Amino acid sequence: MADAVVLPQVQPARPVAQFFKLIPGVLLLAAVGYAGKLLEQNVGKYAKDHHWTFPNIEYVLWAILIGLAISNTVGIPQIFRAGVATYEFWLKAGIVLLGSRFLLGDVLKLGVPSLALVLIEIAFAIAFMTLLGRVFNLKPKLTTLLAVGSAVCGVSAIIATKGAIDADDEDSSFAIAAILALGALSLFTFPLIGHALHLTDHAYGVWSGLAVDNTAEAAAAGALYSDAAGKLAVLTKTTRNALIGFVVLAYAIYWAGKGQAQAVGNKAAFLWQKFPKFVLGFLLISLLATLAIFNKEQIGALANLSRWAFLLTFAGVGLRTNFRELAKQGLRPFAVGAIGEVLIAVFTLGLVYGAQRVFHW
Amino acid sequence: MSNTKQEVVAAPKRRGLSLDGWAVLLAFALAALVRAGVFKHVPW
Repeated sequence: MADAVVLPQVQPARPVAQFFKLIPGVLLLAAVGYAGKLLEQNVGKYAKDHHWTFPNIEYVLWAILIGLAISNTVGIPQIFRAGVATYEFWLKAGIVLLGSRFLLGDVLKLGVPSLALVLIEIAFAIAFMTLLGRVFNLKPKLTTLLAVGSAVCGVSAIIATKGAIDADDEDSSFAIAAILALGALSLFTFPLIGHALHLTDHAYGVWSGLAVDNTAEAAAAGALYSDAAGKLAVLTKTTRNALIGFVVLAYAIYWAGKGQAQAVGNKAAFLWQKFPKFVLGFLLISLLATLAIFNKEQIGALANLSRWAFLLTFAGVGLRTNFRELAKQGLRPFAVGAIGEVLIAVFTLGLVYGAQRVFHW
Repeated sequence: MSNTKQEVVAAPKRRGLSLDGWAVLLAFALAALVRAGVFKHVPW
C-alpha cells in the first residue's frame, strides 16, 4: 500500500490577526477620502471669499489626486498595503447599498437598454482587441486577456480569465497594467469630453459604464460628472460585470479546444463560480426597496452609507495607481490597449448617441 | 525508510466566503441595522 504524504499547507494567518492588519490601510483610505471631502467644501469657499477664479473640484477628484500624490511620491508603506487593497471590497459593498436607490422597475427600464448596448460593446471590443493583438503581434493569450479586460470588467475579468485559460503571470501583469493605466487616464479625459459634448447625465453615465473598464474607475468617472451620472455608470457597469462568466466560459472552451487550457466540466457551476455575487446583492436590495421595506429616511441613510463606501474606493483608486510601476510593464501591450480603448470609447459614444435618440434620454 | 510508492495528498482546502460574499454580507448587515432603527440618520 502506498504511503500517503500529507503536504503541509501554509497556515493562514488567524482571522483576527488578518483583520487587525487591515486597519491601518482602511484608516488611510478613510483619511484620504475625508480629506477630499473637506477640500471640496473648503477650497471653493476659500477661493470665493478671496475672489479667485477656481474650478469647483468634486471630492471624488480630490480623493483620487491625494491618493495619486501619496502613491507616486512617498509610496505606500507596507503597513498600509493590505488595508488599501480593500478598496474593491468597499466598492462592492457600496454597489449593493446603491441598489436601494433603484426601484426594480427602474433597474429593468434602465438595465434592458443598457444590456443591449453592453452586448454590442462586448462583441465589438473582443473583435477589435483580437484584431489589434494580431496586428501588433502580441502573444495570443495576452491578446485574450486584453480583449476580456476591455470588453467586460477590467482587472476582475483578467484575473478570472487567467485562471480559466492557464495564461502566464507575465501576460496577466501586462494586461492589468494596461487596463489600470488607461482607467486612470479615463478619469481625467471622460468628464472633459462629456462636458465638451454637453452630454446629459444619463447619456454620460451610460457611456462611462460602457467604456471605462475597471468598475472602480467607471464609478469614479461617472461620479466626477454628477451624482445621477455616477448612479447610471454603476448600473451599466454592473450589467457588464454580470456577463463576465459567459465571456470567460467562451474563452475557456476556445483555449481548451486548442489543447492549451483545462477542459471545462460543469458549465453551470463554472458560470456560477465566475458570476459576481454583488450583482445579486444589488438586485435584492433593489427588490426590498421596491417592496417598501425601507422608508424614505432609511433609503437616504442607505444611500449615504453607499457614498461613504465609494469614498473609500475613490481614495483607493488613487493610492494603488503607481505610474512608475505601470510604465515598467512595457509599451506594446499599453499601445494595443490605448488604441483599442480610444476606439471603444468612440464606438460606445456613437452607440450612446444612437440610444439617446431612440430612448429619449 | 519504506520502499513503497508515495502518494501525494494535499490537505483539504478551507472554504470561506469570497470578497463579493463578504461585501454583500456587510451591505445587508448595514441595511438590517438601518431598517431596525439602529442607524437613524447617516450624515454625508
